Amino acid sequence: MKDREIDAILNQAAQAPHDVDPALLASIANSLGRSLSPVRPLAPAWALVGGLMLICAAVALAGAARLGLYGIQGMTVWDRALILSTLGTLGWLAATARVSEMIPGSRRGVPPGRLLAAGTLALVAVFAILFRDYHTHSFVHQGVACLAAGLFHAVPVALASWLLLRRGFAVNAVAAGLAAGTLAGMAGVTMLELHCPNFEALHVMLWHTAVVPVSGAAGALLAWLRSLRAGVGDPALRGD
Amino acid sequence: MYSESELEILMARYQQGDCAAATALIHRLSPQLHRFFLVQLAGRGDADDLLQETWLRIHEVRHTYRTGEPVLPWFYAIARHIRVDHYRRSLRTTGREQPLEAVHEAAVVQPTAPGGAADLQELLAPLPESQREVIEMLKIAGMSLEEVARATSSTVGSVKQKAHRAYAKLRERLKGVALTEGRAGGPG
Repeated sequence: MKDREIDAILNQAAQAPHDVDPALLASIANSLGRSLSPVRPLAPAWALVGGLMLICAAVALAGAARLGLYGIQGMTVWDRALILSTLGTLGWLAATARVSEMIPGSRRGVPPGRLLAAGTLALVAVFAILFRDYHTHSFVHQGVACLAAGLFHAVPVALASWLLLRRGFAVNAVAAGLAAGTLAGMAGVTMLELHCPNFEALHVMLWHTAVVPVSGAAGALLAWLRSLRAGVGDPALRGD
Repeated sequence: MYSESELEILMARYQQGDCAAATALIHRLSPQLHRFFLVQLAGRGDADDLLQETWLRIHEVRHTYRTGEPVLPWFYAIARHIRVDHYRRSLRTTGREQPLEAVHEAAVVQPTAPGGAADLQELLAPLPESQREVIEMLKIAGMSLEEVARATSSTVGSVKQKAHRAYAKLRERLKGVALTEGRAGGPG
């Protein structure tokens, strides 16, 4: 049997009339009509992506300025260019994914899970190229401090991005949470690169980069818990 | 029958609070959304409930549609979300009542009102859920590969692959049916 013949069978089945109970349609139209009022459509995607990028940049800069811009000052021009352009590109991809997840039927860019994995690997690769000091002084102590500082700055980004996109609707809450966490993590890493004066390769590769997967996982977990809670509150689950 | 651009205009008017446009959209899109639910294993009663729930959700989030974007992927993405939600809820509620092994992915065709949906449901029943929805959107709703990719939050490549696998399964199935019919109709 050829594809054309299968097409013909499917077309035949598709063309068969399919009616829905008119009373059901009338009831739907009535219930929608009761609360029908003009709504303001969401802002264009480019504006939302731009807004998210601004939030990330503002939080990272403000955080680093408050703690001291030692990191960026200690880098060469080449280091700055490579790190900031990588973070900018990954941030833009994460912002695009975040916006796509909040608008049903959007064109799909890089899926959030793949973005998280690829972004983490890209950062590790860039740091491995730029930082060659393999000494480790107070590896865990300084590392945990950097991880905590990165995550601390990721939180306001996540909150602000939620505020900016609060009118959106996520058809996949976990993917949206993952995208939000990844974006916030990118802002956290940016702050660390601007601030952290520790250029030991292992420190940067492990503890700075870890902000992205930890933040992404936290975003996905929170979204999953929230959707579970919403499910528990559902009348169907309560058995009403 | 409305074209895609007419649907876009209706959607824009619906966002502006036009009741006639909302009613027109409901009458135009409900049959195909209903069929989408029926093909996805729902019984007629469930399909009615899912359709109602979908329209309520569409109404709540109608501001997320952006003029100029394809309409059908937006509707189907929401319908799909409602169906997945419903499936998860039913899994949770029936989880305590029956062992998980009893929940099959393959469809159990339930009797429906006369029409094409029952035949279609039967035809697509052996396909896994993800392939069934892709075939339904491509061949029944008449969406393009790009639109199906948008509606299912996947890539065009993934949609093509699912459609290809679905066709391979349908080919096997239809070949089996043809052989059976041939034997039944043959001499002796």
